[in-house]
Amino acid sequence: MASPIRVLTAVPICDGHDSAINTINLEFIRHGIEVVYLGFHRYVKDIVRAAIQEDVAAVGISSYNGGHIEFFAEVVKQLKKRGADDIKVFGGGGGTITHDDQRIMQKRGVDKIFFAGTSLTGMSDFVRERYGKRPKRGATSDPEMKLARKLTEIEDSYANGKRAKKGEARKAKFKNTRVIGFTGPGGAGKTTLIDELVLRLLHRDANSRIAILSHDPSVVGEGALLGDRATMINSQNDRVFMRSMATRGQAGGLSPATEDCLELLAQSGFDYVIIETVGTGQEAMPFRSKLIDQTVMVMNPDYGARLQLQKIVMLDLADIVVVNKSDLDRAKTAMNEIERRLGENRRDQRVISTVAKRHRDAGVDELCDLLTRETVSATKGKR
Amino acid sequence: MSKLGRVVEAVEDYNSFVEKEVKRARTDEQFGMQMLDRWDEIKRNIKIGTSPTGLKLPRLALPEIDDVGDITRYLLGDGLPGEFPFLNGAYREMYLEPWQEAPIETGTYEKTGDGRKSRLNGSRNGHSNGNGSSARAAATNRVAATIKKPQQAEEPTRLFSGLMLAEDTNKRFHFLSAHQRSKRLSTAFDGPTLYGIDSDADGVFGKIGEGGVAIDTVEDMVRLYDGFDLGSPDFSASMTISGPAPIMMAMYIAAAVRRFGPDVIPKLRGTIQADIFKEVQAQNETIFPVEASLRFLADMMEWTMRHMPRWYPVSISGYHIGEAGSTPVQQAAYTLSNGFAYAEMMAARGMSADEFGPRLSFFLDCGLDVEYIALTRVSRRIWAIGMKEVFGAGPKAQLYKVHTQTSGRSLIAAEFRNNLTRTAAELMLAYMNGTNSCHSNSADEPFTTPSEEWIRLSAHSQAILLEESGIFKHTMNMLSGSPGMKAVERAVEAAILEEFREIERLGGVLAAVENRYQRSQIQNAAHRYEQQIYDGTRPIVALNKYRNEEEEMPEFELARTPAARQQLQVDRLKKFKAKNAKKAEQALNKLADVVDTDENCFPAMMEAVEVCSLGQISERLQEVVGRFRPMV
Repeated sequence: MASPIRVLTAVPICDGHDSAINTINLEFIRHGIEVVYLGFHRYVKDIVRAAIQEDVAAVGISSYNGGHIEFFAEVVKQLKKRGADDIKVFGGGGGTITHDDQRIMQKRGVDKIFFAGTSLTGMSDFVRERYGKRPKRGATSDPEMKLARKLTEIEDSYANGKRAKKGEARKAKFKNTRVIGFTGPGGAGKTTLIDELVLRLLHRDANSRIAILSHDPSVVGEGALLGDRATMINSQNDRVFMRSMATRGQAGGLSPATEDCLELLAQSGFDYVIIETVGTGQEAMPFRSKLIDQTVMVMNPDYGARLQLQKIVMLDLADIVVVNKSDLDRAKTAMNEIERRLGENRRDQRVISTVAKRHRDAGVDELCDLLTRETVSATKGKR
Repeated sequence: MSKLGRVVEAVEDYNSFVEKEVKRARTDEQFGMQMLDRWDEIKRNIKIGTSPTGLKLPRLALPEIDDVGDITRYLLGDGLPGEFPFLNGAYREMYLEPWQEAPIETGTYEKTGDGRKSRLNGSRNGHSNGNGSSARAAATNRVAATIKKPQQAEEPTRLFSGLMLAEDTNKRFHFLSAHQRSKRLSTAFDGPTLYGIDSDADGVFGKIGEGGVAIDTVEDMVRLYDGFDLGSPDFSASMTISGPAPIMMAMYIAAAVRRFGPDVIPKLRGTIQADIFKEVQAQNETIFPVEASLRFLADMMEWTMRHMPRWYPVSISGYHIGEAGSTPVQQAAYTLSNGFAYAEMMAARGMSADEFGPRLSFFLDCGLDVEYIALTRVSRRIWAIGMKEVFGAGPKAQLYKVHTQTSGRSLIAAEFRNNLTRTAAELMLAYMNGTNSCHSNSADEPFTTPSEEWIRLSAHSQAILLEESGIFKHTMNMLSGSPGMKAVERAVEAAILEEFREIERLGGVLAAVENRYQRSQIQNAAHRYEQQIYDGTRPIVALNKYRNEEEEMPEFELARTPAARQQLQVDRLKKFKAKNAKKAEQALNKLADVVDTDENCFPAMMEAVEVCSLGQISERLQEVVGRFRPMV
């Protein structure tokens, strides 16, 4: 089976009109396309960086607030400047983009403008036909682009069934790279927590570089909405390399290609590699990789009755358990219950309570301290 | 239980109270007689007017009922126009032509019914009017207070505009209001302003003055309303901005003071949108985290409510919820529940409902779905009951005052002249609901900022319905109370209460917002709407039905801001910043310090706008409270 087409969609800066793009995203997914959604009110530089890191075939921009000629042209220009002109730019803006505008935009390198009245199916068909087969690309010297393309190769080879799972023997990583795994149920606030952590990591060391490998579920038989970037405001940064992956049919919160991609990232000289699973169920044990130094389990205080805690397998394996949203009523009880539950494990597991949505939250500071200062060996080797 | 849960109970209680009173009127002879007397008195007092053709018509039409139970249900359950629970209108005479012989007295309401007559001056200064009497009084008291419209009746026309730079919009304002006795301006801002970003910021060139006016500094604000008397009772300004609204409000006050001195502050009249909840739910123009945004808003609301008794510091907006694709019921339910959440917020600051209630106003979308026959009517009723029973509001604070705009989403590019018909039909629905003011969309809106030709037609459509036609000017209740309308009212009210219950189950409005409940509901509805257009179950003329395959899209002279104009804005902003560099830093530091405390930060904001640009203030505030994390 061929690899699904990956496209990036976004709404320009100073524009919050996301109704059309939300509908189009859903339609693309239904037609087997993987959509990396960057969200609304996005700068050109953020779109270009994301397009290159995600190594998408094309960028779709939905614009309703004017200034589209300049904006689209600037995206094309910046992509070209980075040597990524194989990534095509298309988009639309209902009636706000006229035929005259379209002619100017196409002259400046925009591939396609859809006008009001284009059917959703028509748009999906166009994307699949036009961007389904990627052009042959020349070698690149841009390290970020090289890395992005290698990740694509790994994903593609799994999709084509050419890559067999490797044994665990040859795992190795860059010496100074700390690999941190985040997992937990959906809605616990993993993405927000990671983004806040990234803010602190970037701040603490002005030279640090961070990679994020984020996962979202593929819809059965269809594409996937890879939407983590849309809510990550601090990770849109030149020192952060982020890659969004769809699970492509694998259960457990990760993709078949995850381990190899993680290995590549761990060998690419980042200070931190953060991997985030899909929201998981009670029995999931997503991380079996030897590459991971520390695992963080993020929980929502609303997990239900105490009995439920007994069933959560990850609580046995996690090095750090974060009770996020601890401004909720039940948080105190949850902390007590979880601490007692971890006590039974008789391991040096830590519990931290956070409110990740809160700016300058002390709990997130504590988590950052723990992840940066603690020696790896302290919590390793017992799983 | 949050206040919203109590609102649900209050409406349910009120409905069963009405039914009990209906029964009582039929069984308790004395009470029945009281109701019949009241009915007769109402009938006796109805004036008879004459149409241009000589037809004699009552100024208030009543249902043809004579059963005392039915009369009781009508008077208590619906209320006469201008009477609780205001289903039939906020005012007794709404759009009627002024009565010649006996002019209506300004800003007063009468207490009748139980024989006593007391007359209270309408409170112009926002203080309690002293009539927030007990919620469970005798039935006759429930229909006692009649709200009359202020006499200096204004045209309900309020056209939204904003383009290019401040002086360009100023010119448009003068054009639009040239023939109006009241100057009611409504301001649209460009993208960078809506997001609190300066025109000289990286990456926004091209967006300056697009889709609205570019405002960076207090100097721009002075240019924007140049030539208008901001303190005049005939002038009112509306500003459609929410994310940075407290900062823009401060700028407006500062601009007014620069031109007219500090005495102008209590005279300022107008509305600023400032509705953070709907931004997070639908429109996405939020710049600070939700809780911080709400704090800035509440600081601004409290200050303006205490110092500017004629200003509406928040316009609780369903329009953008509707435009983002919600169903009409979702629109009404989220708008009302957001309103109750703001009321709760102000009550928590120790203000009484009679202080804050009259300063809250609403803004709804009106499309072509059947719910719109009664959406505003039902909203007005729920608001009145909730404000009275849950917040203890007196009559003036119970009013759901609403501005309606016809649906932009319902307009399409194909054979765009049809948009005139769509807008006219929507306008008709809006008037049937008794909207307080109205914006009718321009038919060319699917392409561009409205051109003068089409905007003129859209303004005229309002005059044609209200002034030329006899539909609304002779008789109140002309189109109220048909069996079909009643059926829609009942269905819509039940559906709104069901939405309230769901929000309550999620922990109230703020918790539901954070769980993106309203967002996902709206998105699902939007997707369904698009699907219905594509599969043809929702007919759209000239799009999926009766389509003219030959039609080419018309080419318009588009209102775009030339690069040189954009550059001018950038240049003068830079000059402003250079001139104030030193003072700006001090003002920003002071503002940041105040924000870190629990104090009201609005006064510090007013100081800051004197020397800082919008972008400088937003950025500094973001350093203190963080940035908004978008929801998908």
